[in-house]
Amino acid sequence: MEERELISRVLAGDPSAERALYDAHVDRVFRLAYRMAGDMDRAQDYTQETFIRAFSRLQTFRGDASLSTWLGSIAISVTLNGLRKVRRQNEREVGLDDFTPVGPTRREAEPDLKTRLNQAIDDLPEGYRAVFVMHDVEGYTHEEIGASLGVHPGTSKAQLFRARARLREALADFAKD
Amino acid sequence: MMDDRFDDLLRDSAREYNDPPETPREELWQRIVAAREAERAASKEKTEDADGERSPILPFRRFGRVRPGRPLTWAAGIAAVLALGIGLGRMSVKQPASVAISAPVPSSSAPAPRATGVAYRVATTEHLSQSEAFLTLFRTSVRGKEGNERLASATARQLLATNRLLLDSPAAADARTRLLLQDLELVLAEIAQLSPQPKSRDLQLITEGLEQGGVLSRLRTAVPAGTSATQGAL
Repeated sequence: MEERELISRVLAGDPSAERALYDAHVDRVFRLAYRMAGDMDRAQDYTQETFIRAFSRLQTFRGDASLSTWLGSIAISVTLNGLRKVRRQNEREVGLDDFTPVGPTRREAEPDLKTRLNQAIDDLPEGYRAVFVMHDVEGYTHEEIGASLGVHPGTSKAQLFRARARLREALADFAKD
Repeated sequence: MMDDRFDDLLRDSAREYNDPPETPREELWQRIVAAREAERAASKEKTEDADGERSPILPFRRFGRVRPGRPLTWAAGIAAVLALGIGLGRMSVKQPASVAISAPVPSSSAPAPRATGVAYRVATTEHLSQSEAFLTLFRTSVRGKEGNERLASATARQLLATNRLLLDSPAAADARTRLLLQDLELVLAEIAQLSPQPKSRDLQLITEGLEQGGVLSRLRTAVPAGTSATQGAL
């Protein structure tokens, strides 16, 4: 079924079309939410919220970008807002001095590249991390990232460049090997 | 190791970053269906209860009239109010130890939580008021084919940034305000992404979306026309 037809059927209130739309896009939304949150419960919450907002706003979908890109923009917005709330709660609970960035806690003692890299990605500023995860981990294009984050593709490229530079810096000892 | 090779290694290793498990499709779908049904039921109940009665979500007095058409003034106003709100918020979250042990502190140097709440409400009202004026102008401009979309896109970006800050602030603690800010975010994002020479169909779809989603009418309900929240409130 064509995307436009699917959307028309969803707007007409067809439950099977809603499910078909969900099935077609849920993996991509969930993957992005999970990559950013690093936590099953939060990833599920953000995926759920993304689809609820998407269904309620589908009549405003213009169709100049793909539905997948449009959903991606809702997903990243919901996820970043959710993670900011978690960060605020953490700050209140432990105080600013003891604050550690949102993300999975990694306690492995083994200082291998992957462990260090994961920690370095967790430590990236929010905008850099979003662009890095979307581009280098999930394979979004700069145009898709730009549309999702409401920035120009050039800004996305610049942020990716800076994110990689930060990671190189954080892993400088590996880079020398 | 050369940068390029290291970047390749970085990308390869990064693919395992927060590696997602299989999507729990059925469980998620059930949650979405249940949440939407609950939302519909609540909305229906509210409509029946309200029976046409509407109260502003941010009950502020009406002050001077907002004068649209000045994006730079808007941006400066928004920035100033937000800076004040966020500054007050930060001060109230954590006080330096010296403040805690010193003898009587003048009340003006440590704003009470109530003052912080007022600051956020003022910032939100100001933002919603600017957004309402902007979207009204945008719709008028589209209908009159005035070709101000480039300016509209730039202003939408500024409002979008403010909107995201507010969504991330205690201003979004209220469910109705949060929902309005979330819907506003999508509209502003659509305008912000307009190309310098947008197709008339795109513009029409945005204005149709504005009307169908009721964003403008909800903004007007939230901030009655003529509100300029900072005047007299601070």
